[in-house]
Amino acid sequence: MSHAPEHDGEKEEKVLESWERAPLPERSPLIAGILSIIPGLGHIYIRQVYRGIGYLLLSLAMAGLTYWAHITTEFEPFPGLITVLLILALLFWAWVIVSAVLAARQRRFAPAMGLIVVLAYTYILGWQATEVNLQKFFTEFPDTFNIFTRVMWPWRAAFEREQELLIARADFANPCPEEGLPPQEPGSGDEAWIVVEPNCGEFARYVLGEGVRPGTELTVRGGGFLPDREVEIWWKDPIGQEFRPIYEGETISAMTDDEGNFSVTFGAPQYETPPQAVGVQIHEVQARQVTAIGALRVSENLELAINRMIVTIFQALMATSFGIVFAIPASFLAARNLMYGTLPTRIIYYVTRFVMNVARSIEPIIWAVIAAVWVGLGPFAGVIALTIHTIAALGKLYSEAIESIQPGPIEAISATGATRLQVIVYAIVPQIIPPFLSFTIYRWDINVRMSTIIGFVGGGGIGQILFQWINQSRWSAAGMAVWLIAITVSVLDYASGELRKRFV
Amino acid sequence: MLKVENLTKVYEDGTVALRNVSFEVADGEFMVVIGLSGSGKSTLLRCINRLIEPTEGRIIWNGVDITAAKGEELRKIRRQIGMIFQQFNLVERSSVLTNVLSGRLGYINPLWSLINYFPREDHERALAALKRVGLEDKAHNRADALSGGQQQRVGIARALMQEPKLILADEPVASLDPVLAHSILGQLEQLNKEDGITVICSLHYLDLVQRYSTHVIGLREGRLVFEGDNEDIRQMTDERFKEIYGEEAERIGTGSIMG
Ligand SMILES: Nc1ncnc2c1ncn2[C@@H]1O[C@H](COP(=O)(O)OP(=O)(O)O)[C@@H](O)[C@H]1O
Ligand SMILES: [Mg+2]
Repeated sequence: MSHAPEHDGEKEEKVLESWERAPLPERSPLIAGILSIIPGLGHIYIRQVYRGIGYLLLSLAMAGLTYWAHITTEFEPFPGLITVLLILALLFWAWVIVSAVLAARQRRFAPAMGLIVVLAYTYILGWQATEVNLQKFFTEFPDTFNIFTRVMWPWRAAFEREQELLIARADFANPCPEEGLPPQEPGSGDEAWIVVEPNCGEFARYVLGEGVRPGTELTVRGGGFLPDREVEIWWKDPIGQEFRPIYEGETISAMTDDEGNFSVTFGAPQYETPPQAVGVQIHEVQARQVTAIGALRVSENLELAINRMIVTIFQALMATSFGIVFAIPASFLAARNLMYGTLPTRIIYYVTRFVMNVARSIEPIIWAVIAAVWVGLGPFAGVIALTIHTIAALGKLYSEAIESIQPGPIEAISATGATRLQVIVYAIVPQIIPPFLSFTIYRWDINVRMSTIIGFVGGGGIGQILFQWINQSRWSAAGMAVWLIAITVSVLDYASGELRKRFV
Repeated sequence: MLKVENLTKVYEDGTVALRNVSFEVADGEFMVVIGLSGSGKSTLLRCINRLIEPTEGRIIWNGVDITAAKGEELRKIRRQIGMIFQQFNLVERSSVLTNVLSGRLGYINPLWSLINYFPREDHERALAALKRVGLEDKAHNRADALSGGQQQRVGIARALMQEPKLILADEPVASLDPVLAHSILGQLEQLNKEDGITVICSLHYLDLVQRYSTHVIGLREGRLVFEGDNEDIRQMTDERFKEIYGEEAERIGTGSIMG
């Protein structure tokens, strides 16, 4: 073994990483192999320090993860998973040893193989851990398709028409009074009319051992309706409940002829007269025809979604505004060029930076959960969550704008004999206002986006109603909310982009 | 007459940028300061209008001790001294007109200026200054939309607004190509000759020094190592030039400085 020339650490690494370049210090392949029993140590021995540390960490990770896969209850491993992982880990180990031995002889050993083993290990375990299930993915798609179409195209539920009804009524008595009833007279003139024949009788009812005994067969004739349109038969009981009677499993309707007359025959519906009702009960038969279809109007769900969307945009606006108010002072405290001078200010600088970094790394959705506990569910919780995140994010961006202030203009304006205040107004403000505006608009954009999500955890706004609709499986309504969010976000995205262009 | 006496500047980190520098500049001179990068040219110019505080020494301008001036008095001195910079130092996002008008800040009511109000005659003055530098049609452009040469001319217009008796120009053409360099220095020469404004200008190129200066001083590591008039510098030999610029002169001298 010859003497290795004295290198300083960093340079040496660079030299050793490039294989072709001689001269390399000679190292024993045998020792490299034996040391590799602890993976990576062999490479460290032949002075491939970073590579060796990397292999060591990878091996430790593989060992740890294999053990984790063995004990975890997170997922149901397929049979033999652990064995496969172990084999891969051992393969990697073997590869590290061989590669250390060969590296000592300045040769490389199938680098792709090591990579393939590591990747195979990663994806096999990853597939299991995330419970990827392609079978479900494909076989259950058709069930989802129905929901999917309603979410993607919810507009049939977005608008409704107000309907106007033409109604004609006739009485029906149960049971038939002993003295009988005079027959009903057909109407005349323009008014719609109906008559029921007979105008009294029995309801269908369920008789034990016999099944349903049909009610009296009724014929309803009518006139004065719009020609060639459907007429629906409705029923109204003595206490005022209206329903569509069912005959032979279907609701009853008829088409009018070209003079507006119709006739339909059906059995009296099944109806349980309450025991406390005594004597003859007068029911009402109705014939209804939709005569006019009112103007299209926004459905209640769409209206609700729009309202919530507006609330959401305001949430973002409020959060952005509150955020600005706090972010501006914070940004001055976090600006290196202002605060780095003396020790106390430098400490303030670091503390402000630290607090802002922490606040920023906690997602707004988590802040929303906290805020919901604090002020209760609703839009205000969302505003608080977004405000906190906005202060941290804008504070950082603003401070960067302050740090990038050019000293040149300040010098130039001072040289004209301007006062301190004038220097601020003419040299500093013009430099920070445009980036401030730009960052603020950008942030508002992000806040709108985030506030739609924050509702899912109780932050109010459109997210909350969307979450509710999804839970209730009201897919069309949910679809409308999703569309509204998409439209609003993309419009704002475009608008804010255009606006920002003007400021930078 | 500007009198610099025993001027010394030591920066906070201990760098001695000027060592006991003394010279005089008569009114109406076009004085050029030469010296290697780092020799103290910028520091010297900035001491004159006190953008940098001298450590020791005095600067007397027409009998007034600039080094002793404070507050309002200093601002009144500064407004008579225009300054032009290598990097132009315009407020890039403001309009050309606003940049030019800001040269007037030392004269107008500070309160009005805070809401960007300038008297009518200042607007006229600004347009006249822009016309003089050939940029009257660019008044409403954003400053950063202009080319380097145009930006420097805005810088000159801004200095003109001060109605200066003295203009300090810190390597005004170092960021420009040679053709533009002549156009900018030509403008300064015109101000010097026609308006009688004293110019103190640092330059890097020997041929520009020979062409424009009436009076030259040379700095080396903060020391005054050369003083002469235009004739002296015309006849300067390479050896003498080397003395001013030191060991590196060969390389830089045949390259950019002699360029
Ligand atoms: N703000 C400063 N703080 C410390 N040293 C400085 C500062 N400004 C300039 N210097 C140093 O002072 C010396 C002279 O600089 P300068 O006046 O800019 O020279 P020049 O303009 O001739 O290139 C240089 O060594 C430079 O590094
Ligand atoms: Mg300089």
